[in-house]
Amino acid sequence: MITPADRFLLAAAGLLLLLLYALFWQGSGRASRVEIVPGDGSPPLHLSLYHDRTVEVSGPLGESILEIRDGRARFVDSPCPGKLCVQAGWLAESGATTACLPNRVILHLNGGEERFDAINF
Amino acid sequence: MKRSLAGIAILAVVAGLLYYAAGRREVELHQREFFVMGTLVSITIADTDRATALRAMEAAEEDFRYMDRTWNPWKPSALRRINQLLASTEWFSVAPSVEPLIRDSMELYERSGGLFNPAVGGLVALWGFNRDEPPTTPPPREAIGDLVARAPSMADIEFDGIRIRSRNAAVQLDFGAFAKGRAVRIVTDLLLEMGIRNAIVNAGGDLRAIGRRGDRPWRIAIRRPSGEGYLAVLETRGDESIFTSGDYERWFEYQGRRYHHILDPRTGYPAEGVSSVTVVHGDAGLADAAATALFVAGPEKWPETARAMGVEQVMVVGSDGTVYMTPAMAERIRFEEEPPRVVIRSP
Repeated sequence: MITPADRFLLAAAGLLLLLLYALFWQGSGRASRVEIVPGDGSPPLHLSLYHDRTVEVSGPLGESILEIRDGRARFVDSPCPGKLCVQAGWLAESGATTACLPNRVILHLNGGEERFDAINF
Repeated sequence: MKRSLAGIAILAVVAGLLYYAAGRREVELHQREFFVMGTLVSITIADTDRATALRAMEAAEEDFRYMDRTWNPWKPSALRRINQLLASTEWFSVAPSVEPLIRDSMELYERSGGLFNPAVGGLVALWGFNRDEPPTTPPPREAIGDLVARAPSMADIEFDGIRIRSRNAAVQLDFGAFAKGRAVRIVTDLLLEMGIRNAIVNAGGDLRAIGRRGDRPWRIAIRRPSGEGYLAVLETRGDESIFTSGDYERWFEYQGRRYHHILDPRTGYPAEGVSSVTVVHGDAGLADAAATALFVAGPEKWPETARAMGVEQVMVVGSDGTVYMTPAMAERIRFEEEPPRVVIRSP
């Protein structure tokens, strides 16, 4: 037999759960979105990390190719001599940044809980 | 009756949490990124009104660009002119924009026992680490031997007021292990002068953090030298600079051997035994120079160099993955994953 007091109790408990979730859920640090800044001065692209695709953006040296797959992003190719951006591999964590310095293309992951304010390397 | 008491208790908790949530504010961050000094610089400012933050970030970028133009020895600049004149071994008047960098480097050279040696610009050029594209082959052994035998060092430089000369024609200044740190220090000082109290100035992964991010300290992740992901996390305290020198930053492979850009001035070859060195210090310029000097010192000798340079917080990752730390660093660092072997050494 459910009394009005029971209903009140259930509603209050449900509300508490929602609040606790919203306030204290820290997430895993995984990013949900990606920002790609082209090297040619055109405006940045803001894309979901959950939509697999390949993106080509321009810079002073030519086209950089980036890939978004399974919630991660990386440089696949870039017209730079050193390919340090390609060697950086997949990024998945919110706040992670890598760039192709010669081609001036920046890849920045955000959304979700940023566990760090900066990466030292 | 019991049930309504439980309900009231839950409601009280909800009310408390709502009160807490209302007090907890989102921190507003202002950020600007730009390419300068061969790297990506990022400035983050917290707890400042938008107009002030924008003005500060613009001034900071201008300062970075000025220092890049002045201190780049491989492009037409004040430093390149100085290098040409140093090679003559004659006296000349030094540009005031470069003088402090030279004087401070001379002192750091002495304190590091010669391991921090910006006079080896010729060696950097010989290897080709000064160019945009990485080298493909190491230079001839004889050429390295010749340059090392001529032993260019900061001790060859002499000051007489604002006049300067080098006693050694092989001295070529390259502040690759110091300029970024000095620039980070100068730009952060500028932000402080403009009234900004909470910020990070990050030049390609080397940074100075001041203040906090709202109600918590700034959180800095330190990259794993090999592979993806992070080795450890550090929360900054007040005003601190965190600088890392790593063998993964610039390198090339030749005949199955890997050559990185941190050269040992004593041998002319890339320093061996260490993958990365992280230094935390109040002075960004010193942290930058010390990270390089300790890298060159190697996994055995770094504590002596740290002591001589007045650096207390150090983490060294050896080529075999062993993590060496000073007690002051060990006390505050949080590993993402416990390293296979940790050795604590006092400086």
